[in-house]
Amino acid sequence: MLSKRRSEGPVEILELSGKITIGEGEAELRRDVQDLLDGGRRKILLSLERVGFMDSAGLGELVACYKRANENGGTIKILKPSGKVADLLSLTKITEIFEIFEDEGEAIASF
Amino acid sequence: MTPSGKITVSVASRVGHVDLIHAISDQVAALVGFDNDEILNLGLAVREATINAIKHGNGLDPKKRVRVTFTFDDDGLEVAIRDRGKGFDPNSVADPTLPENLFQPSGRGVLLMKAFVDRVEVHGQDGKGAEVCLFKGRREVPDRRRHRS
Repeated sequence: MLSKRRSEGPVEILELSGKITIGEGEAELRRDVQDLLDGGRRKILLSLERVGFMDSAGLGELVACYKRANENGGTIKILKPSGKVADLLSLTKITEIFEIFEDEGEAIASF
Repeated sequence: MTPSGKITVSVASRVGHVDLIHAISDQVAALVGFDNDEILNLGLAVREATINAIKHGNGLDPKKRVRVTFTFDDDGLEVAIRDRGKGFDPNSVADPTLPENLFQPSGRGVLLMKAFVDRVEVHGQDGKGAEVCLFKGRREVPDRRRHRS
């Protein structure tokens, strides 16, 4: 998994790409989100547009990140999950945890 | 002609081997003639069963091996993933989509297995190791339907 960070005002956008799977992928996601929380960022938008694949470990880490952000007074939202990843979020009903957006502007304005 | 055969792979219980088994699953599924969607779905189910065997069945103990057997014929492809664990009842696993379980960081593997193959069975809950069998059938092709009518 690769990640790229950028800021839009108070919102930190984490653009992820590749696979979020057991081992490195889930660990990198955990580290990236923890770095943002440690840096005082509380409004986090995860862009999944370029994430092609996730397994149960990746999905579990996504949920764990949401919980950690919440415990730290923060919020994580999801932008543009596509293809198989969108199917997996829906199948596992993780869509009921996260607010999910197709438009970046709308997502940023929602925080 | 439809290929048939059996391939067995044995790996130590290391997380890094999940990708290897997944890649082999993709290759075998392509050989059998599944389309890209079917290859992706089967691969995800095999991946989840392998994670389960390595993490929960064998407790990430590299001395314990996971054996994966791919058996394919006219009917489809069966993948048997065997570990040294106690096994589990796939029908008694908590439903991760229930509101009280949604925030659990784990417990979604069996749901994914069931969603992406036609049949999931667990054998050998006798303390001597467990085997998860995943089966994905071939879709009927128009030629076959014509022959049968």
